[in-house]
Amino acid sequence: MLALLAAVALPALYWDQGPATAAAVKQAGIERLYVPASEMAAWRDAGFDAQAFDAARFVKLPVPGVRYQMDVASATTVPWIDANGWRFQRKGGGSYFYDAPAGKAMLAAAEAYANGVEAVIHVDAKDLAGFARMLTFLRSIGGETLPALANFGFIDNGSAQTGEVMNLLARRNLLFEVVRKPDPKYEMNVEIPADAKITNPSDFSARVRQDLTDEKRLLRIFGSDVVLARLNGDNTRVRVHLINYSDRKVEGLRVRVRGVYSRGTLAAFGQEKAALEDFSAADGATEFTVPSIDVYAAMDLRK
Amino acid sequence: MRRRAFLQAAAVTPAVFAATEAREPLPKYRIVSRYQPSTPPGMPGIFPGIVARVHAESAIDVNTEKVDVATVREMMARGMRSLTGDADTRDSWARFFVPQDVVGIKLNCSGAPGTASTPEVIAEIVRNLGTVGVKPEQIWLYERFQNQVDTMHYDRYVPAGVHIWTAEHDRGSIQSYDPKTYVEVNFFGEEDTRSNVSRPVSEQFTKIINVPNMKDHGAAGVTGCLKNIAYGSFSNVARSHSGPKSNTYSFIGTLATVEPVRSRTVLNIMDGLRGVWHGGPFSPSRKFRFYPKQMMIGSDPVAIDRLLIDVIDDKRKVEHAISVWDRSMDNVKAGQGYDDNPSINRFIREPGHIEYASQLGLGVYDINKIQIRKTEL
Repeated sequence: MLALLAAVALPALYWDQGPATAAAVKQAGIERLYVPASEMAAWRDAGFDAQAFDAARFVKLPVPGVRYQMDVASATTVPWIDANGWRFQRKGGGSYFYDAPAGKAMLAAAEAYANGVEAVIHVDAKDLAGFARMLTFLRSIGGETLPALANFGFIDNGSAQTGEVMNLLARRNLLFEVVRKPDPKYEMNVEIPADAKITNPSDFSARVRQDLTDEKRLLRIFGSDVVLARLNGDNTRVRVHLINYSDRKVEGLRVRVRGVYSRGTLAAFGQEKAALEDFSAADGATEFTVPSIDVYAAMDLRK
Repeated sequence: MRRRAFLQAAAVTPAVFAATEAREPLPKYRIVSRYQPSTPPGMPGIFPGIVARVHAESAIDVNTEKVDVATVREMMARGMRSLTGDADTRDSWARFFVPQDVVGIKLNCSGAPGTASTPEVIAEIVRNLGTVGVKPEQIWLYERFQNQVDTMHYDRYVPAGVHIWTAEHDRGSIQSYDPKTYVEVNFFGEEDTRSNVSRPVSEQFTKIINVPNMKDHGAAGVTGCLKNIAYGSFSNVARSHSGPKSNTYSFIGTLATVEPVRSRTVLNIMDGLRGVWHGGPFSPSRKFRFYPKQMMIGSDPVAIDRLLIDVIDDKRKVEHAISVWDRSMDNVKAGQGYDDNPSINRFIREPGHIEYASQLGLGVYDINKIQIRKTEL
């Protein structure tokens, strides 16, 4: 995949295992990191681009992931996804911090990258190598700052209720842009009046989907309910970001992108020579299969 | 053995169903397939409305569940000849299959290992395919879930070279399904609105033999030919049930009409050596298992399934269980002991899916128009 020009910011490491672990960090290929203020000098002496970590500068995020719960009505397990994408859209910028327990650093990195935000990740000692591999991967695919694409505008009044709705919209891969007032570039703008009480935010988000219609959606995912997507692009190309919030690989994911693209490439974390399968473009949409996704994959489509 | 074979138009009082019962509007289905119907047409196939029904008391020992292979062989031979009218069993099979065919045998393993497509029945099908020149390498036993098939050990019964294939080694994976052949429908607002056909069905098989069991089904009322070929060949079908409601009424038949499933399913051999009269499609214990000791053979899945309704409901009546036609919400009690209590329903059952399938052109439902050719061994 070609490296593109102005790069999306890569997540940064916050490492508090002490300068004695410098060799391990160097071996992991990391040269720039955040450390406790008291250790900054020592890390710099060791040749690292070390910055003192100041928690006050960052917004701390919940740990991303999936929780499963039984759905008695349909006797299936329904996954609940803890994802932060809607928070990034609400804030519209800013710097973020993840305190990632073991096994979560790579997911946190992928989430931050896909959403184009600056993030620092406190990485568990066990995850250093994996985190470094993710950084290497993200660096390799580049990432010009193409604008995020959306189906509708969403007027955010800052309330907890609205936040919950935004979370559920993102959970359904309904792509929206937070706007201050109805944006005429969108056929649909969604606003929840300040005095409205939504008794069932899930039903509300379902209604938004229904009003939009599946045919008009910019992006749809088939084959998994634990993968969330982001879409960036312009008139001639798009990048699809897929983030797998579970701790298991997803085998076989079908993606539908509105618009007719003649070719596409796939970069999947943890896989060399990954390629899209069953690529087809017809009836105003392009579809393809991602054979396997670990934590994160990016597809670049061109007209 | 006593041998009689005769034509019989069944004089069974049809089950009472409130035909005038108002239904909610049916879901909107979008079928996407690039395959064209075959000539001759698929289901109901070359023998519409005809069912060859063979019963043999010695087919299976009800105490040990040991299957008598010789009896199974005779049942299938007599059933096929009865269906086609040929004197030679090989000629019966040759009406459906040619040596160049790649044949998928649709197993039913949802009740495995308690009640599933009997390995000896499957082996006999494979053997018969061999007599008309279909090599083992051209035969595929297929199902959806690996963990269910693994419990049946079909490999011990069929020749080397026969493929045993499942769509989902990991449940939920769509990797082995054809992305370009599917039914799209939104039942309850689920995100994934597609059910795709298994890849070998569309990309490899030229013919399919459907081998369901005789079972009741908590959502569909009964599960026979139609449900086995429909829900068993497509992905993402469990989403059709939610709360007391099941969309099996229209979804089963709709899936069965999708080309190439419809055209390639040329023969149904309903394996009724064992049956399940409650708690189906599962069969975790012998509590609700029974032994019809019969096979029903035909090209018409609707006609066979129409007879299956009576097999199951008659048994339920004897056991003082509520009818598969019961739609009273008083009896729908999810999570309250359905697995052990045949007077409870988990969903509103939909045995009407069979009549609906006939309305889609998949076969003959009118009991007075079904020709049963009965053989007693």
